[in-house]
Amino acid sequence: MSSVTTSLPQRTLEVRGLGKSFGGIHAVKDISFDVAPGEIVGLIGPNGAGKTTCFNLITGFYSPTTGQVRLGGEDVTGKKPFEMARMGIVRSFQKTNILKSLTVFENVLTGHYLEARQPLWRTFLPRREVRATEDRVRESAARIVRTLGLEHRIDTPASALSCGELRLLEVALALAAKPEILMLDEPAAGLNSQEARTFGEILKTLRGTLVRSILIVEHNMSLVMGVSDRIVVMHFGQKLAEGSPVDIQANTQVIEAYLGGGNQA
Amino acid sequence: MNFEKRILLSLMGLAAVLPLFVSDQYMLHIAIMVLFFAVLASSLNLVVGYVGEFSLGHTAFLGTGAYTAAILSTQYGWPLWATIPTAGALAALVGVVIGVLTLRLQGPFFVIVTLSFAEVLRLIADNWIGLTNGPMGIAGVPQPEWLTQASNLAAKQFYYGLAWALLALTLYMSFRFVYSNAGRAAVAVRENRYVAQSIGIRPLNYTMLALVLGAALSGMAGGFYAHYISFVGPEVFRFAFMVSMIIMVLIGGKGTLVGPLIGALLVTFLEEYLREAKELRLSIFGLAVIAIVLFLPRGLMGFIAQRREGHGGDQPVNDRSTAAAPNTQRSST
Repeated sequence: MSSVTTSLPQRTLEVRGLGKSFGGIHAVKDISFDVAPGEIVGLIGPNGAGKTTCFNLITGFYSPTTGQVRLGGEDVTGKKPFEMARMGIVRSFQKTNILKSLTVFENVLTGHYLEARQPLWRTFLPRREVRATEDRVRESAARIVRTLGLEHRIDTPASALSCGELRLLEVALALAAKPEILMLDEPAAGLNSQEARTFGEILKTLRGTLVRSILIVEHNMSLVMGVSDRIVVMHFGQKLAEGSPVDIQANTQVIEAYLGGGNQA
Repeated sequence: MNFEKRILLSLMGLAAVLPLFVSDQYMLHIAIMVLFFAVLASSLNLVVGYVGEFSLGHTAFLGTGAYTAAILSTQYGWPLWATIPTAGALAALVGVVIGVLTLRLQGPFFVIVTLSFAEVLRLIADNWIGLTNGPMGIAGVPQPEWLTQASNLAAKQFYYGLAWALLALTLYMSFRFVYSNAGRAAVAVRENRYVAQSIGIRPLNYTMLALVLGAALSGMAGGFYAHYISFVGPEVFRFAFMVSMIIMVLIGGKGTLVGPLIGALLVTFLEEYLREAKELRLSIFGLAVIAIVLFLPRGLMGFIAQRREGHGGDQPVNDRSTAAAPNTQRSST
């Protein structure tokens, strides 16, 4: 399992001057940051700061009004979501998005789509290689389910999972696509503090084993401060600050944005 | 998966030996219609169950196939073994055209636009008299040479074999599709387009594949129909065929491979036995559909699957997870 990332290319995700306006409203304005290989970057900010919009812009669900997204120096701005996935950027969603009527295992197996892809005629006349691939992705799916601690639920339909298990399944599904950069949108929403801690531990083990880098949007401060190497803070669609978790926690502007400004004259 | 494969194989095995025991021509005719409708319902199921959109235009493919076979054999003298595959190919082409235009639509929009395509084709068949002979239809679609000398029973047996082969092909193609990476991708698109795209699936590729596969199979069924009935008129595009297909898929259970077969069997027999009830027949079917949608939304096969799952649920949780482990090693065949 630990050898997986050695085959992945070392590419930096660069976001440059990214902006999106809906009508006259600037949801995201002039955002720039990098996710370097091997990094976990946290993207935080109060509700409505434009974090999810930022995610949608990077992964091609929205096309940006201004700015650029580059991967390893190559301009990938405005590519379609499935093209971004094929280039190694896979995301999860803020509002839980999984394949509801399938079991946990089937969900994760389906996530191996790119790995199990084959020429069309092979679908109807499968040969030994196709079966070998199927066996391989089945094993890999079982391994990912185990990594996220869902093995006791492996044959349970996704619709019967608890909220916390659903969040884990969503990450498992994204991991199944074998991304170079994993983007998680509030993966710990709805988890209690114990579950969130466990989740943080899992995230740290993923880097360098199953994925190279992680970009995470999260409101759970102890989680995001605990796992991130670097934090980018957004406020009203713009970048407010960037730095190490320690710097950010001491940053007066950030505290003001979250708690409101005091009148310390 | 093994469960479904076993049922399919045993059903097809039973169907293969049936003509050894049945020599009544009328019964054989009904059996042929069951096989024919099983092909149609299975092909519609690929669209309804695996694209996840309700197509009311499936008769467009059936009709295209029927007219293709009828025209090629009456006007150009093509033999049956060439007309039926060509019927499938042309229906697939129509599938591509309709797919390009409709697969970007969802829900009621998809339903209405596919329905209008079938209607447009019906109007063409009705009015392009030079090609289709208009409302008179094309009569006397030729039979294979040797069949004209053979007895009626032998002819029925021949068509039974042909329909069986067509259904076997349909089930093979559907089975391969459903239990492949492509089938999983189609289900992913059906379940959640956002997830599908985020794991690298281009939705149109797989909705199109399911639609075109369904179109090709029902086109071949149309070609078969033309030769067997030896008459093709504009009513092949009519809603009546569509209604039968929908009822079969719904009763049997959409999104399963066995469901449409059970549906075809039940509905074809019911239609025969309720023939005396005439108009009342349609009302009875209407009530049956309402009951199915209300009480068995996943159809008969869905109901059976649920029962099977229910039995699994009686066991302690630990047993299930250990039982699940070897599952993951299972080969795909």
